[in-house]
Amino acid sequence: MSPAGCSHVNGFKVDNWKQNLRVIYQCFVWSGSAETRKRKAKSCICHLCGAHLNRLHSCLHCVFFGCFSKKHIHEHAKSKRHNLAIDLLYGGIYCFVCQDYIYDKDMEQIAKEEQRKAWKLQGSPPPHHQCIGEKYSMWEPTKRELELLRHNPKRRKITANCTIGLRGLINLGNTCFMNCIVQALTHTPLLRDFFLSDRHKCEMQSNSCLVCEMSQLFQEFYSGHRSPHIPFRLLHLVWTHARHLAGYEQQDAHEFLIAALDVLHRHCKGDDNGKKANNPNHCSCIIDQIFTGGLQSDVTCQVCHGVSTTIDPFWDISLDLPGSSTPFWPLSPGSDGSVVNGDSHPSGATTLTDCLRRFTRPEHLGSSAKIKCSGCHSYQESTKQLTMKRLPIVACFHLKRFEHSAKLRRKITTYVSFPLELDMTPFMASSKESRMNGQYLQPVDSLNNDNKYSLFAVVNHQGTLESGHYTTFIRQHKDQWFKCDDAIITKASIKDVLDSEGSVAHIHQLFLFYTL
Amino acid sequence: MKMEDMSLSGLENTKLEALAHDVYSDLVEDACLGLCFEVHRAVKQGYFFLDETDQESMKDFEIVDQPGVDIFGQVYNQWKNKECVCPNCSRSIAASRFAPHLEKCLGMGRNSSRIANRRIASSNNTSKSESDQEDNDDINDNDWSYGSEKKGELMHSNPNSPRRSKSLKHKNGELSSNVNPELYKYNYSSGISYETLGPEELRSILTTQCGVVSEHTKKMCTRSQRCPQHTDEQRRAVRVFLLGPSASALPDSDTMLENDGYDAPDGQLIMSRLQWDGSSDISPSDSASSKASEFFMKPSTLTLTTTGSGGERDKGQERERGDRDRVVSGGSGSSSSQNALALSSRKKRPKLPVPPALSIYDDLN
Repeated sequence: MSPAGCSHVNGFKVDNWKQNLRVIYQCFVWSGSAETRKRKAKSCICHLCGAHLNRLHSCLHCVFFGCFSKKHIHEHAKSKRHNLAIDLLYGGIYCFVCQDYIYDKDMEQIAKEEQRKAWKLQGSPPPHHQCIGEKYSMWEPTKRELELLRHNPKRRKITANCTIGLRGLINLGNTCFMNCIVQALTHTPLLRDFFLSDRHKCEMQSNSCLVCEMSQLFQEFYSGHRSPHIPFRLLHLVWTHARHLAGYEQQDAHEFLIAALDVLHRHCKGDDNGKKANNPNHCSCIIDQIFTGGLQSDVTCQVCHGVSTTIDPFWDISLDLPGSSTPFWPLSPGSDGSVVNGDSHPSGATTLTDCLRRFTRPEHLGSSAKIKCSGCHSYQESTKQLTMKRLPIVACFHLKRFEHSAKLRRKITTYVSFPLELDMTPFMASSKESRMNGQYLQPVDSLNNDNKYSLFAVVNHQGTLESGHYTTFIRQHKDQWFKCDDAIITKASIKDVLDSEGSVAHIHQLFLFYTL
Repeated sequence: MKMEDMSLSGLENTKLEALAHDVYSDLVEDACLGLCFEVHRAVKQGYFFLDETDQESMKDFEIVDQPGVDIFGQVYNQWKNKECVCPNCSRSIAASRFAPHLEKCLGMGRNSSRIANRRIASSNNTSKSESDQEDNDDINDNDWSYGSEKKGELMHSNPNSPRRSKSLKHKNGELSSNVNPELYKYNYSSGISYETLGPEELRSILTTQCGVVSEHTKKMCTRSQRCPQHTDEQRRAVRVFLLGPSASALPDSDTMLENDGYDAPDGQLIMSRLQWDGSSDISPSDSASSKASEFFMKPSTLTLTTTGSGGERDKGQERERGDRDRVVSGGSGSSSSQNALALSSRKKRPKLPVPPALSIYDDLN
């Protein structure tokens, strides 16, 4: 018997008490379906005064409902010597002898099970974010653990000014491309929460699961160690599972990001070979839940105006920059002085919003690229437009700075300014209609936060195409920013991160990570 | 008061508002009750105050924000000696060199397939030393064929990735175990710039190394005299260029030999071997050497070889000097060189199982 329980329950725990208790929970406390909710509402009223609020309790020994506030249940308990009652709102067990709520281990077990069942019943299955489903239960210490904790009062708590969660990464030989991505991933809030709450259940046979290694990585980051971590196992696993990275030669952070996400996604399914159905539209692994968005591509025939639509999954959005050899679309007339996304920038500086506008602009496919139109049944000229159909929880923007054209290999150093908060509503497929009518400014619905993103990581590249170095700025504890330069972690200011004038020499933003 | 179904349509606004307010206050009360229960339970179960931290621990993990140190208060750049164990070969590798090691260990590098192919090809030969040599080729390969390789690489590269200059990054630290690291103790990327060296230094370098000047780095090749990437003609040319015509012959032929059991065959036998063009299992470098060696077989040259090596050997080891003395006083060119040939190399290279007659020419590569 736990210290929080009492001996008076023993009188109750006879015969088929477990089943009886379950029935009480199912019918009168945790109502799963709409039916049971109605039944509960109708039947649960105080037998003495008819009220259905007032902290109604049910007697555990007989069928009696009484309100607590008016002491009707107390009267019943006294007269019938029924010592136990259950609160119908939260399922707590009250003992009239002890005059307190008690927590009996066995009874609590039953309560938890019934509660879970009810949660699963509530709401409709897809789309998954509408149903309660599997709720996360907080950890509670056992008796033994409580003892240990009391004997050892030293605690490590993650507070605002705490280094826990931050750790340097040793450079294994030009592996800053990997380190910068790892820092961004370990500070992705949802991913961090997933791994720290130990949600990964490994089904892989071999011990080369990258997700397990990722989990281990989080343990290392939150261990409180000050010396930098050596991610050699991670490197080995990624190269083993992504052979196309062709080893040490490839130092491209973007390729590493995609390859790492891909391997994590495959291993989440417990499959080494990626042979299991990996339809990204229906995958429910954590990587897909967090990173996968849907990009809608509309091809409009210029003759019959019929639209053919496809939706492709994406993990990141690669944006062309002005200064590349592909022509950069001039800013639209409506954008002068526009304050979309807080970009009241001095004229001339390209913003992230500009790049996104270019990305989602209608593009006229020339006469050399005629598409067969199913409406006209012939090859016609068409326009193509990309928009966001489904936004990922974490949006990764990749600025295409490294250009390899036929004769040219260079890094585009154009400065691109970017905001701390980003509203993706103008770039959604749903907003496309109004945009096609020439309206570039949407009335911004400030109450709707569905498409509002916050910046949490910036990956920078400094140097030339031939020899350069990657660093990352990451956000911790809401407002604190830190610079991660391989093994060295230092505090940074928002000003450093945003680099609002592009004034820091030779440092160029490469990846921008935003989260909902 | 029984619960009834009530229609909301007939009600006035004030009544509706009152109802709404009732519902709202009930909800708020229920929420507060829930919180009370949570706290009550936590206190009763004993874990309510469990997560309070002590001051000391708080201080331990406080973020440091000062110049010159990181957030943990540590000075930069103190992590030079970290090591890790390679999951593939289970060897202990310095952390900062792990990536290049892993690349080769997994056989993933740009050159790994070439190395592997060479290994396969030369394992068909009896020449083991070739393959040993080529294990190290991968490190130095790039520089030699840098120009052409790079273009090919560009074709397949990701259109959006930076590329670092590979030649800068290769060190000779991570050689495979069957090769003597001594041979390659110079970091190839730094190379040797002949312009800064004096004649004595040049001589000593040229006695031990290939020495051919790379066209694009202008540095001398630090590989052995048997280096297959450069021909003997090139080696001769560089010696002429650097040391004058008297040093046109390659020195050190005597010490480069592996064959311990080689006794002096007579000159005729050597001449006849020279005509041997080589069978199919001889690698390209062999045939190159046999052509070059033809040139060297003129007796006068042989003599030069001996004396030339004598001059340049001043800085060599005791044993060789002694041997050379023996050789010089030996008399005839061919026999002296053959005596020299009998010397085992001071470099610990694996023994050559080539036919003895070819050995004179092997060292000329």
